[in-house]
Amino acid sequence: MDSSLHEVWQAASGSPFLPTVGKGSQFFVGFLLLLIGLALGGLFTLNRSLVNVPVLGIPASLAVAFGVVYMFCAVGVYV
Amino acid sequence: MKTLAVFSAVLSVLATAYASSDSKSTLPSTFKPPQVFKNLNLVHVISVEKNYVKENINVLIENIDKEAQDEYYLPFTGDQMSRVGGFEAKDRKDASVGHFKVEAVEFDPESDIQYYRVHLPSPLKPGDRQALGITYYVLKAYKPLPASIAQDEQQFLTYSFSAYAPSVYTTSKQKTEVKFPSSAIPDYTKLPGSGDVQEFPQKQGTKLTYGPFDEKPAGAAEPVEVRFEFTKPVSHVSELERDVEVSHWGGNVAFEERYTLYHRGANLSTLFNRVKWAQQQYYNPVSYALKEMKFPLRVGSADAYFTDVIGNVSTSKFRSNKREALLEIKPRYPLFGGWKYPFTIGWNSDAKHFLRKVSGSSYVLNVPFLEGPKQPEGVEYESVVLRVVLPEGAENVKYQTTIPTSSITEAKVEIHKTFLDTVGRTTLVIKARNLVDDFRDRELIVTYDYSLLASLRKPLIIFITMIGVFVAAWVVGGVELKFSKK
Repeated sequence: MDSSLHEVWQAASGSPFLPTVGKGSQFFVGFLLLLIGLALGGLFTLNRSLVNVPVLGIPASLAVAFGVVYMFCAVGVYV
Repeated sequence: MKTLAVFSAVLSVLATAYASSDSKSTLPSTFKPPQVFKNLNLVHVISVEKNYVKENINVLIENIDKEAQDEYYLPFTGDQMSRVGGFEAKDRKDASVGHFKVEAVEFDPESDIQYYRVHLPSPLKPGDRQALGITYYVLKAYKPLPASIAQDEQQFLTYSFSAYAPSVYTTSKQKTEVKFPSSAIPDYTKLPGSGDVQEFPQKQGTKLTYGPFDEKPAGAAEPVEVRFEFTKPVSHVSELERDVEVSHWGGNVAFEERYTLYHRGANLSTLFNRVKWAQQQYYNPVSYALKEMKFPLRVGSADAYFTDVIGNVSTSKFRSNKREALLEIKPRYPLFGGWKYPFTIGWNSDAKHFLRKVSGSSYVLNVPFLEGPKQPEGVEYESVVLRVVLPEGAENVKYQTTIPTSSITEAKVEIHKTFLDTVGRTTLVIKARNLVDDFRDRELIVTYDYSLLASLRKPLIIFITMIGVFVAAWVVGGVELKFSKK
Protein backbone atom coordinates (compact mmCIF):
# COMPACT_ATOMS: atom_id res chain seq x y z
CA MET A 1 0.00 0.00 0.00
CA ASP A 2 1.07 3.46 -0.84
CA SER A 3 1.13 5.90 2.04
CA SER A 4 1.22 9.00 -0.12
CA LEU A 5 -2.24 8.73 -1.66
CA HIS A 6 -3.62 11.18 0.85
CA GLU A 7 -1.18 13.78 -0.46
CA VAL A 8 -2.31 12.99 -4.01
CA TRP A 9 -5.88 13.67 -2.91
CA GLN A 10 -4.89 16.92 -1.19
CA ALA A 11 -2.81 18.06 -4.16
CA ALA A 12 -5.74 17.54 -6.54
CA SER A 13 -8.07 19.70 -4.44
CA GLY A 14 -8.22 22.33 -7.19
CA SER A 15 -9.57 19.98 -9.83
CA PRO A 16 -12.76 18.22 -8.76
CA PHE A 17 -14.19 15.92 -11.40
CA LEU A 18 -16.93 17.53 -13.47
CA PRO A 19 -18.75 15.54 -16.15
CA THR A 20 -18.97 16.82 -19.75
CA VAL A 21 -22.74 17.12 -19.39
CA GLY A 22 -24.04 17.97 -15.94
CA LYS A 23 -26.71 15.93 -14.17
CA GLY A 24 -29.37 18.58 -14.80
CA SER A 25 -29.07 18.61 -18.58
CA GLN A 26 -28.47 14.91 -19.21
CA PHE A 27 -32.10 14.20 -20.02
CA PHE A 28 -32.33 17.12 -22.46
CA VAL A 29 -29.08 16.20 -24.24
CA GLY A 30 -29.95 12.50 -24.35
CA PHE A 31 -33.47 13.15 -25.61
CA LEU A 32 -32.30 15.63 -28.25
CA LEU A 33 -29.60 13.30 -29.55
CA LEU A 34 -32.01 10.36 -29.71
CA LEU A 35 -34.52 12.57 -31.56
CA ILE A 36 -31.85 13.60 -34.08
CA GLY A 37 -30.86 9.96 -34.48
CA LEU A 38 -34.48 8.98 -35.05
CA ALA A 39 -35.01 11.79 -37.58
CA LEU A 40 -31.87 10.93 -39.55
CA GLY A 41 -32.82 7.25 -39.41
CA GLY A 42 -36.27 8.19 -40.73
CA LEU A 43 -34.70 10.15 -43.58
CA PHE A 44 -32.56 7.14 -44.42
CA THR A 45 -35.59 4.88 -44.66
CA LEU A 46 -37.10 7.22 -47.28
CA ASN A 47 -34.13 6.71 -49.57
CA ARG A 48 -32.09 3.61 -48.78
CA SER A 49 -29.16 4.15 -51.13
CA LEU A 50 -25.54 3.12 -50.58
CA VAL A 51 -24.51 6.78 -50.43
CA ASN A 52 -27.00 7.46 -47.67
CA VAL A 53 -25.50 4.74 -45.41
CA PRO A 54 -22.44 6.91 -44.57
CA VAL A 55 -24.11 10.30 -45.20
CA LEU A 56 -27.10 9.75 -42.91
CA GLY A 57 -26.09 6.54 -41.10
CA ILE A 58 -22.90 7.81 -39.49
CA PRO A 59 -24.37 11.01 -37.98
CA ALA A 60 -27.50 9.11 -36.96
CA SER A 61 -25.42 6.38 -35.28
CA LEU A 62 -23.25 8.94 -33.50
CA ALA A 63 -26.32 10.77 -32.20
CA VAL A 64 -27.93 7.53 -31.03
CA ALA A 65 -24.65 6.33 -29.45
CA PHE A 66 -24.22 9.38 -27.21
CA GLY A 67 -27.97 9.76 -26.80
CA VAL A 68 -28.29 6.27 -25.36
CA VAL A 69 -25.40 6.83 -22.92
CA TYR A 70 -26.88 10.10 -21.66
CA MET A 71 -30.40 8.73 -21.53
CA PHE A 72 -29.16 5.86 -19.35
CA CYS A 73 -27.61 8.41 -16.98
CA ALA A 74 -30.70 10.63 -17.08
CA VAL A 75 -32.97 7.81 -15.87
CA GLY A 76 -30.66 7.07 -12.94
CA VAL A 77 -28.60 4.15 -14.25
CA TYR A 78 -25.27 5.89 -14.04
CA VAL A 79 -23.06 4.03 -16.52
CA MET B 1 -6.29 -15.83 44.77
CA LYS B 2 -5.89 -18.34 42.00
CA THR B 3 -3.50 -17.62 39.25
CA LEU B 4 -3.67 -19.58 36.06
CA ALA B 5 -0.40 -19.80 34.23
CA VAL B 6 -2.04 -20.97 31.04
CA PHE B 7 0.52 -19.97 28.49
CA SER B 8 3.33 -22.41 29.22
CA ALA B 9 0.85 -25.21 29.83
CA VAL B 10 -1.03 -24.75 26.60
CA LEU B 11 2.01 -24.15 24.49
CA SER B 12 3.86 -27.18 25.81
CA VAL B 13 1.06 -29.60 24.97
CA LEU B 14 0.93 -28.50 21.36
CA ALA B 15 1.35 -31.92 19.82
CA THR B 16 0.42 -31.05 16.25
CA ALA B 17 3.45 -29.41 14.84
CA TYR B 18 2.20 -27.08 12.18
CA ALA B 19 4.52 -24.67 10.54
CA SER B 20 4.43 -23.03 7.17
CA SER B 21 6.62 -20.16 6.19
CA ASP B 22 4.77 -18.58 3.26
CA SER B 23 3.76 -15.45 5.14
CA LYS B 24 5.97 -13.10 7.03
CA SER B 25 3.91 -13.37 10.19
CA THR B 26 3.90 -17.17 10.25
CA LEU B 27 5.87 -18.68 13.09
CA PRO B 28 6.60 -22.25 14.22
CA SER B 29 3.96 -23.86 16.41
CA THR B 30 6.26 -23.98 19.40
CA PHE B 31 6.54 -20.21 19.28
CA LYS B 32 6.54 -18.38 22.58
CA PRO B 33 7.05 -14.63 22.80
CA PRO B 34 10.53 -13.87 24.19
CA GLN B 35 10.48 -12.43 27.70
CA VAL B 36 12.20 -9.20 26.77
CA PHE B 37 9.80 -6.63 28.20
CA LYS B 38 8.36 -5.89 31.59
CA ASN B 39 5.09 -4.00 32.09
CA LEU B 40 5.94 -1.43 34.74
CA ASN B 41 2.51 0.12 35.04
CA LEU B 42 -0.60 -1.01 33.24
CA VAL B 43 -4.09 0.45 33.15
CA HIS B 44 -6.70 -1.67 31.43
CA VAL B 45 -9.89 0.24 30.59
CA ILE B 46 -12.83 -1.92 29.51
CA SER B 47 -15.76 0.03 28.18
CA VAL B 48 -19.07 -1.84 27.98
CA GLU B 49 -21.02 1.34 27.29
CA LYS B 50 -21.96 0.28 23.76
CA ASN B 51 -23.10 -2.97 22.24
CA TYR B 52 -19.49 -3.91 21.58
CA VAL B 53 -16.62 -3.83 24.07
CA LYS B 54 -13.87 -1.29 23.64
CA GLU B 55 -10.70 -2.18 25.48
CA ASN B 56 -7.85 0.16 26.08
CA ILE B 57 -4.51 -0.98 27.47
CA ASN B 58 -2.23 1.85 28.49
CA VAL B 59 1.07 0.40 29.53
CA LEU B 60 4.55 1.61 30.34
CA ILE B 61 6.97 -1.03 29.09
CA GLU B 62 10.65 -1.47 29.84
CA ASN B 63 13.17 -3.49 27.85
CA ILE B 64 14.76 -5.95 30.32
CA ASP B 65 16.78 -7.75 27.64
CA LYS B 66 20.41 -7.13 26.72
CA GLU B 67 19.58 -6.14 23.17
CA ALA B 68 17.32 -3.59 21.58
CA GLN B 69 13.79 -4.95 20.99
CA ASP B 70 10.93 -3.77 18.79
CA GLU B 71 8.22 -6.47 18.93
CA TYR B 72 5.59 -6.40 21.66
CA TYR B 73 3.07 -9.27 21.86
CA LEU B 74 -0.45 -9.28 23.22
CA PRO B 75 -2.20 -12.64 23.78
CA PHE B 76 -5.81 -13.59 23.04
CA THR B 77 -7.65 -16.90 23.21
CA GLY B 78 -8.61 -18.51 19.92
CA ASP B 79 -12.25 -17.63 20.51
CA GLN B 80 -11.43 -14.01 21.33
CA MET B 81 -9.15 -13.78 18.32
CA SER B 82 -12.07 -14.40 15.97
CA ARG B 83 -14.03 -11.58 17.60
CA VAL B 84 -11.32 -8.98 18.15
CA GLY B 85 -10.98 -6.19 15.62
CA GLY B 86 -9.93 -2.62 15.07
CA PHE B 87 -6.60 -3.26 16.79
CA GLU B 88 -4.50 -0.10 16.96
CA ALA B 89 -1.41 0.85 18.94
CA LYS B 90 0.16 4.25 19.41
CA ASP B 91 2.73 6.11 21.44
CA ARG B 92 1.07 7.64 24.49
CA LYS B 93 3.65 10.41 24.75
CA ASP B 94 4.09 11.34 21.11
CA ALA B 95 0.93 11.46 19.00
CA SER B 96 2.83 12.55 15.89
CA VAL B 97 4.28 9.04 15.41
CA GLY B 98 0.87 7.79 14.29
CA HIS B 99 -0.37 4.24 14.52
CA PHE B 100 2.23 1.50 14.84
CA LYS B 101 2.36 -1.44 12.51
CA VAL B 102 0.23 -4.21 14.01
CA GLU B 103 -0.41 -7.72 12.75
CA ALA B 104 -2.09 -10.90 13.90
CA VAL B 105 0.56 -13.57 14.31
CA GLU B 106 -0.11 -16.88 12.63
CA PHE B 107 1.67 -19.80 14.14
CA ASP B 108 -0.79 -22.55 14.89
CA PRO B 109 -4.51 -22.28 14.16
CA GLU B 110 -5.18 -25.08 16.68
CA SER B 111 -3.51 -23.27 19.55
CA ASP B 112 -5.69 -21.78 22.24
CA ILE B 113 -3.45 -18.77 22.56
CA GLN B 114 -2.98 -16.43 19.62
CA TYR B 115 -1.07 -13.18 19.49
CA TYR B 116 -1.18 -9.73 18.05
CA ARG B 117 2.26 -8.29 17.38
CA VAL B 118 2.98 -4.57 17.74
CA HIS B 119 6.03 -3.26 15.91
CA LEU B 120 7.56 -0.34 17.76
CA PRO B 121 8.62 2.35 15.27
CA SER B 122 12.19 2.26 16.57
CA PRO B 123 13.81 -0.54 18.63
CA LEU B 124 13.79 0.09 22.36
CA LYS B 125 17.31 0.05 23.85
CA PRO B 126 17.98 -2.11 26.95
CA GLY B 127 16.62 -0.38 30.02
CA ASP B 128 14.59 2.12 28.00
CA ARG B 129 10.89 2.68 28.56
CA GLN B 130 7.98 3.44 26.29
CA ALA B 131 4.34 4.30 26.95
CA LEU B 132 2.07 2.24 24.69
CA GLY B 133 -1.60 2.87 24.10
CA ILE B 134 -3.32 -0.19 22.67
CA THR B 135 -6.97 -0.11 21.62
CA TYR B 136 -9.12 -2.94 20.31
CA TYR B 137 -12.77 -3.92 20.10
CA VAL B 138 -14.45 -7.18 21.02
CA LEU B 139 -17.58 -8.16 19.11
CA LYS B 140 -20.32 -10.59 20.15
CA ALA B 141 -19.07 -9.95 23.67
CA TYR B 142 -22.23 -10.16 25.79
CA LYS B 143 -24.71 -12.75 26.91
CA PRO B 144 -28.14 -11.57 28.06
CA LEU B 145 -29.15 -12.74 31.55
CA PRO B 146 -32.01 -13.61 31.83
CA ALA B 147 -31.88 -14.95 28.31
CA SER B 148 -35.54 -14.16 27.64
CA ILE B 149 -37.65 -11.30 29.00
CA ALA B 150 -41.04 -9.70 28.38
CA GLN B 151 -41.22 -6.95 25.78
CA ASP B 152 -41.51 -4.12 28.34
CA GLU B 153 -38.83 -5.40 30.73
CA GLN B 154 -35.31 -4.18 31.19
CA GLN B 155 -32.47 -6.04 29.57
CA PHE B 156 -29.37 -7.16 31.48
CA LEU B 157 -26.15 -8.30 29.85
CA THR B 158 -23.13 -10.13 31.23
CA TYR B 159 -19.53 -9.83 30.19
CA SER B 160 -16.66 -12.08 31.30
CA PHE B 161 -13.04 -10.99 31.29
CA SER B 162 -9.89 -11.29 33.33
CA ALA B 163 -9.27 -8.88 36.19
CA TYR B 164 -5.59 -9.03 35.24
CA ALA B 165 -4.82 -7.65 31.83
CA PRO B 166 -3.78 -10.30 29.32
CA SER B 167 -0.02 -10.15 28.90
CA VAL B 168 2.90 -12.36 27.97
CA TYR B 169 5.19 -10.29 30.17
CA THR B 170 5.55 -9.82 33.92
CA THR B 171 3.42 -6.92 35.11
CA SER B 172 4.62 -4.96 38.14
CA LYS B 173 1.54 -2.90 38.80
CA GLN B 174 -1.85 -2.85 37.15
CA LYS B 175 -5.49 -2.03 37.52
CA THR B 176 -8.59 -2.74 35.48
CA GLU B 177 -11.36 -0.19 35.10
CA VAL B 178 -14.75 -1.15 33.74
CA LYS B 179 -17.02 1.61 32.41
CA PHE B 180 -20.76 0.95 32.25
CA PRO B 181 -23.61 2.72 30.43
CA SER B 182 -25.39 3.38 33.77
CA SER B 183 -24.86 2.79 37.47
CA ALA B 184 -27.26 -0.17 37.44
CA ILE B 185 -24.77 -3.01 37.93
CA PRO B 186 -26.63 -5.64 39.97
CA ASP B 187 -23.94 -8.33 39.95
CA TYR B 188 -20.19 -8.43 39.67
CA THR B 189 -17.46 -10.80 40.84
CA LYS B 190 -15.82 -9.70 44.07
CA LEU B 191 -12.16 -10.33 44.74
CA PRO B 192 -10.21 -10.07 48.00
CA GLY B 193 -8.50 -6.70 48.23
CA SER B 194 -4.89 -5.86 48.81
CA GLY B 195 -3.20 -3.09 50.75
CA ASP B 196 -5.72 -0.79 52.43
CA VAL B 197 -8.58 -1.87 50.17
CA GLN B 198 -10.77 -4.55 51.74
CA GLU B 199 -12.37 -5.86 48.59
CA PHE B 200 -12.18 -5.39 44.84
CA PRO B 201 -13.80 -3.91 42.81
CA GLN B 202 -14.42 -0.40 44.03
CA LYS B 203 -17.56 1.14 42.60
CA GLN B 204 -17.73 4.82 41.70
CA GLY B 205 -20.87 5.79 39.82
CA THR B 206 -20.80 4.01 36.48
CA LYS B 207 -17.28 2.68 36.97
CA LEU B 208 -15.84 -0.42 38.64
CA THR B 209 -12.14 -0.61 39.44
CA TYR B 210 -10.31 -3.87 40.04
CA GLY B 211 -6.88 -3.19 41.50
CA PRO B 212 -4.28 -1.86 41.80
CA PHE B 213 -2.73 -5.31 41.91
CA ASP B 214 0.89 -6.07 42.77
CA GLU B 215 3.32 -8.00 40.57
CA LYS B 216 1.74 -10.73 38.42
CA PRO B 217 3.63 -13.28 36.32
CA ALA B 218 3.22 -13.57 32.56
CA GLY B 219 -0.07 -15.15 31.56
CA ALA B 220 -1.77 -14.52 34.91
CA ALA B 221 -5.55 -14.48 34.65
CA GLU B 222 -8.39 -13.99 37.11
CA PRO B 223 -11.78 -14.56 35.51
CA VAL B 224 -14.47 -12.15 36.62
CA GLU B 225 -17.96 -11.46 35.35
CA VAL B 226 -20.13 -8.37 35.47
CA ARG B 227 -23.87 -8.07 34.89
CA PHE B 228 -25.32 -4.69 34.03
CA GLU B 229 -28.46 -3.06 32.71
CA PHE B 230 -28.47 -2.38 29.00
CA THR B 231 -32.01 -1.57 27.88
CA LYS B 232 -30.86 -0.75 24.38
CA PRO B 233 -30.65 -2.84 21.24
CA VAL B 234 -27.60 -5.08 20.87
CA SER B 235 -27.39 -4.55 17.11
CA HIS B 236 -25.00 -6.77 15.25
CA VAL B 237 -24.43 -6.60 11.49
CA SER B 238 -23.25 -10.04 10.45
CA GLU B 239 -22.56 -8.87 6.93
CA LEU B 240 -22.44 -5.47 5.31
CA GLU B 241 -21.99 -5.30 1.56
CA ARG B 242 -21.20 -1.77 0.54
CA ASP B 243 -21.00 -0.84 -3.14
CA VAL B 244 -19.57 2.42 -4.39
CA GLU B 245 -20.14 2.89 -8.11
CA VAL B 246 -18.30 5.64 -9.94
CA SER B 247 -19.73 6.99 -13.19
CA HIS B 248 -17.70 9.39 -15.31
CA TRP B 249 -20.43 9.82 -17.93
CA GLY B 250 -23.07 10.70 -15.38
CA GLY B 251 -20.77 12.54 -12.97
CA ASN B 252 -22.19 10.44 -10.17
CA VAL B 253 -21.06 8.25 -7.31
CA ALA B 254 -23.76 5.78 -6.30
CA PHE B 255 -23.74 4.08 -2.89
CA GLU B 256 -25.64 0.99 -1.91
CA GLU B 257 -25.41 -0.85 1.39
CA ARG B 258 -26.95 -4.24 2.09
CA TYR B 259 -27.17 -5.09 5.77
CA THR B 260 -27.87 -8.37 7.49
CA LEU B 261 -28.82 -7.06 10.90
CA TYR B 262 -29.34 -9.12 14.04
CA HIS B 263 -30.37 -8.21 17.57
CA ARG B 264 -28.14 -10.20 19.91
CA GLY B 265 -29.96 -9.22 23.09
CA ALA B 266 -32.51 -11.08 25.22
CA ASN B 267 -35.24 -13.01 23.41
CA LEU B 268 -38.93 -12.37 24.05
CA SER B 269 -40.33 -14.66 26.74
CA THR B 270 -43.85 -14.40 25.28
CA LEU B 271 -45.22 -13.71 21.82
CA PHE B 272 -44.82 -10.19 20.51
CA ASN B 273 -47.88 -8.09 21.36
CA ARG B 274 -48.43 -5.26 18.87
CA VAL B 275 -51.11 -3.51 20.99
CA LYS B 276 -48.88 -3.54 24.06
CA TRP B 277 -46.03 -2.25 21.92
CA ALA B 278 -48.14 0.67 20.65
CA GLN B 279 -49.22 1.52 24.22
CA GLN B 280 -45.65 1.26 25.48
CA GLN B 281 -44.56 3.87 22.94
CA TYR B 282 -46.59 6.42 24.90
CA TYR B 283 -46.03 5.67 28.56
CA ASN B 284 -42.54 4.13 28.47
CA PRO B 285 -40.68 4.52 25.20
CA VAL B 286 -37.44 3.07 26.62
CA SER B 287 -37.12 -0.39 25.12
CA TYR B 288 -34.45 -2.85 24.19
CA ALA B 289 -36.05 -3.26 20.77
CA LEU B 290 -34.46 -1.57 17.78
CA LYS B 291 -37.05 0.70 16.23
CA GLU B 292 -35.14 3.40 14.38
CA MET B 293 -31.78 4.04 12.76
CA LYS B 294 -30.20 7.31 11.69
CA PHE B 295 -27.70 7.50 8.86
CA PRO B 296 -25.95 10.87 8.66
CA LEU B 297 -24.75 10.86 5.06
CA ARG B 298 -22.35 13.24 3.38
CA VAL B 299 -23.74 16.65 2.49
CA GLY B 300 -24.98 16.63 -1.10
CA SER B 301 -26.41 13.09 -1.01
CA ALA B 302 -29.64 12.64 -2.96
CA ASP B 303 -32.19 10.04 -4.17
CA ALA B 304 -32.04 7.94 -0.98
CA TYR B 305 -33.97 4.68 -0.86
CA PHE B 306 -34.70 2.02 1.76
CA THR B 307 -35.89 -1.42 0.72
CA ASP B 308 -36.04 -4.92 2.15
CA VAL B 309 -37.02 -8.32 0.74
CA ILE B 310 -40.65 -7.22 0.31
CA GLY B 311 -39.84 -3.96 -1.48
CA ASN B 312 -39.83 -0.29 -0.63
CA VAL B 313 -40.24 0.49 3.07
CA SER B 314 -42.21 3.71 3.37
CA THR B 315 -41.27 4.46 7.00
CA SER B 316 -38.18 6.44 6.18
CA LYS B 317 -37.35 10.13 6.15
CA PHE B 318 -34.62 11.78 4.16
CA ARG B 319 -33.60 15.34 4.85
CA SER B 320 -30.96 16.79 2.56
CA ASN B 321 -29.86 20.40 2.57
CA LYS B 322 -26.71 22.49 2.61
CA ARG B 323 -25.72 21.47 6.13
CA GLU B 324 -26.74 17.83 6.39
CA ALA B 325 -28.12 14.78 4.64
CA LEU B 326 -29.85 12.62 7.22
CA LEU B 327 -31.58 9.35 6.39
CA GLU B 328 -33.83 8.09 9.18
CA ILE B 329 -35.27 4.65 8.73
CA LYS B 330 -37.73 2.60 10.76
CA PRO B 331 -37.57 -1.15 10.14
CA ARG B 332 -40.80 -2.85 9.13
CA TYR B 333 -41.12 -4.22 12.68
CA PRO B 334 -39.36 -3.42 15.97
CA LEU B 335 -36.40 -5.74 16.29
CA PHE B 336 -36.21 -7.82 19.49
CA GLY B 337 -33.49 -10.17 20.70
CA GLY B 338 -32.74 -13.04 18.36
CA TRP B 339 -34.57 -11.37 15.48
CA LYS B 340 -33.09 -10.60 12.10
CA TYR B 341 -33.76 -7.81 9.63
CA PRO B 342 -31.98 -7.74 6.28
CA PHE B 343 -32.37 -4.45 4.42
CA THR B 344 -30.85 -2.27 1.73
CA ILE B 345 -30.27 1.45 1.59
CA GLY B 346 -28.75 3.51 -1.17
CA TRP B 347 -28.18 7.04 -2.36
CA ASN B 348 -26.46 9.09 -5.04
CA SER B 349 -23.99 11.91 -4.83
CA ASP B 350 -22.28 14.20 -7.32
CA ALA B 351 -18.87 12.91 -8.36
CA LYS B 352 -17.24 16.27 -7.58
CA HIS B 353 -17.53 15.55 -3.83
CA PHE B 354 -15.50 12.35 -4.04
CA LEU B 355 -13.56 12.34 -7.30
CA ARG B 356 -10.69 14.56 -8.41
CA LYS B 357 -8.58 14.62 -11.52
CA VAL B 358 -4.87 14.24 -10.79
CA SER B 359 -3.30 14.70 -14.21
CA GLY B 360 -3.97 13.56 -17.76
CA SER B 361 -6.01 10.41 -17.43
CA SER B 362 -5.34 9.77 -13.74
CA TYR B 363 -8.06 10.17 -11.09
CA VAL B 364 -8.25 9.98 -7.32
CA LEU B 365 -11.36 8.86 -5.41
CA ASN B 366 -11.86 9.46 -1.69
CA VAL B 367 -14.87 7.78 -0.06
CA PRO B 368 -15.64 6.80 3.54
CA PHE B 369 -14.76 3.14 4.14
CA LEU B 370 -17.81 2.74 6.32
CA GLU B 371 -20.85 4.96 6.72
CA GLY B 372 -23.65 3.02 8.36
CA PRO B 373 -26.00 4.08 11.14
CA LYS B 374 -24.95 6.38 13.94
CA GLN B 375 -26.67 5.03 17.02
CA PRO B 376 -26.11 6.05 20.64
CA GLU B 377 -25.69 2.36 21.53
CA GLY B 378 -23.28 1.67 18.65
CA VAL B 379 -23.25 -0.88 15.87
CA GLU B 380 -20.79 -3.69 15.27
CA TYR B 381 -19.89 -5.22 11.90
CA GLU B 382 -18.68 -8.79 11.76
CA SER B 383 -17.89 -8.79 8.06
CA VAL B 384 -17.66 -5.87 5.67
CA VAL B 385 -17.33 -6.31 1.91
CA LEU B 386 -16.62 -3.02 0.21
CA ARG B 387 -16.76 -2.97 -3.58
CA VAL B 388 -15.59 0.10 -5.43
CA VAL B 389 -16.90 -0.22 -8.98
CA LEU B 390 -14.71 1.96 -11.18
CA PRO B 391 -15.54 2.83 -14.80
CA GLU B 392 -15.06 0.21 -17.49
CA GLY B 393 -11.44 0.17 -18.62
CA ALA B 394 -9.96 1.79 -15.50
CA GLU B 395 -6.53 0.38 -14.74
CA ASN B 396 -3.54 0.76 -12.45
CA VAL B 397 -5.73 0.72 -9.34
CA LYS B 398 -4.02 1.64 -6.08
CA TYR B 399 -5.68 2.13 -2.74
CA GLN B 400 -4.96 3.22 0.78
CA THR B 401 -7.21 3.24 3.81
CA THR B 402 -7.03 4.48 7.38
CA ILE B 403 -8.89 1.39 8.64
CA PRO B 404 -6.48 -0.69 10.81
CA THR B 405 -4.63 -2.98 8.39
CA SER B 406 -5.01 -5.94 10.74
CA SER B 407 -8.79 -5.75 10.14
CA ILE B 408 -8.49 -6.12 6.37
CA THR B 409 -8.62 -9.76 5.36
CA GLU B 410 -8.55 -9.52 1.60
CA ALA B 411 -8.19 -6.94 -1.17
CA LYS B 412 -8.40 -7.74 -4.85
CA VAL B 413 -9.30 -6.23 -8.20
CA GLU B 414 -11.93 -8.03 -10.23
CA ILE B 415 -14.40 -7.43 -13.05
CA HIS B 416 -18.06 -6.53 -12.55
CA LYS B 417 -20.44 -6.56 -15.53
CA THR B 418 -23.60 -4.49 -15.64
CA PHE B 419 -25.53 -2.19 -18.02
CA LEU B 420 -23.87 -1.23 -21.33
CA ASP B 421 -20.68 -3.10 -20.44
CA THR B 422 -18.58 -5.08 -22.86
CA VAL B 423 -15.40 -5.98 -20.98
CA GLY B 424 -16.82 -5.23 -17.55
CA ARG B 425 -15.96 -2.62 -14.93
CA THR B 426 -12.79 -2.72 -12.89
CA THR B 427 -13.83 -3.38 -9.29
CA LEU B 428 -11.75 -3.07 -6.17
CA VAL B 429 -13.03 -5.46 -3.50
CA ILE B 430 -11.86 -5.01 0.09
CA LYS B 431 -13.00 -7.40 2.77
CA ALA B 432 -12.66 -6.46 6.41
CA ARG B 433 -13.82 -8.07 9.61
CA ASN B 434 -14.73 -7.05 13.13
CA LEU B 435 -15.24 -3.33 12.69
CA VAL B 436 -17.41 -1.04 14.77
CA ASP B 437 -19.08 2.29 14.12
CA ASP B 438 -16.11 4.12 15.66
CA PHE B 439 -14.48 3.59 12.28
CA ARG B 440 -17.24 5.52 10.54
CA ASP B 441 -15.82 8.04 8.09
CA ARG B 442 -12.34 6.51 8.02
CA GLU B 443 -11.33 7.25 4.46
CA LEU B 444 -10.50 5.02 1.54
CA ILE B 445 -8.44 6.60 -1.23
CA VAL B 446 -8.28 4.94 -4.62
CA THR B 447 -6.28 6.14 -7.60
CA TYR B 448 -6.72 4.81 -11.12
CA ASP B 449 -5.99 5.61 -14.75
CA TYR B 450 -8.88 5.97 -17.15
CA SER B 451 -8.00 6.94 -20.70
CA LEU B 452 -10.23 8.88 -23.11
CA LEU B 453 -10.32 5.83 -25.41
CA ALA B 454 -11.60 3.64 -22.57
CA SER B 455 -14.26 6.20 -21.74
CA LEU B 456 -15.45 6.23 -25.37
CA ARG B 457 -15.96 2.45 -25.36
CA LYS B 458 -19.68 2.61 -24.54
CA PRO B 459 -20.73 5.07 -27.32
CA LEU B 460 -18.37 3.33 -29.73
CA ILE B 461 -20.07 -0.04 -29.17
CA ILE B 462 -23.52 1.52 -29.72
CA PHE B 463 -22.21 3.41 -32.77
CA ILE B 464 -20.90 0.19 -34.38
CA THR B 465 -24.19 -1.57 -33.63
CA MET B 466 -26.20 1.27 -35.21
CA ILE B 467 -24.01 1.38 -38.32
CA GLY B 468 -24.60 -2.36 -38.56
CA VAL B 469 -28.36 -1.73 -38.43
CA PHE B 470 -28.14 0.86 -41.23
CA VAL B 471 -26.03 -1.41 -43.43
CA ALA B 472 -28.38 -4.31 -42.74
CA ALA B 473 -31.38 -2.11 -43.62
CA TRP B 474 -29.73 -1.18 -46.89
CA VAL B 475 -28.83 -4.80 -47.72
CA VAL B 476 -32.24 -6.17 -46.76
CA GLY B 477 -33.94 -3.29 -48.63
CA GLY B 478 -32.00 -4.18 -51.78
CA VAL B 479 -33.25 -7.75 -51.89
CA GLU B 480 -35.65 -8.12 -54.85
CA LEU B 481 -38.67 -10.09 -53.70
CA LYS B 482 -40.88 -9.51 -56.78
CA PHE B 483 -40.81 -11.71 -59.87
CA SER B 484 -38.67 -10.19 -62.57
CA LYS B 485 -40.64 -8.48 -65.41
CA LYS B 486 -38.09 -9.53 -67.98
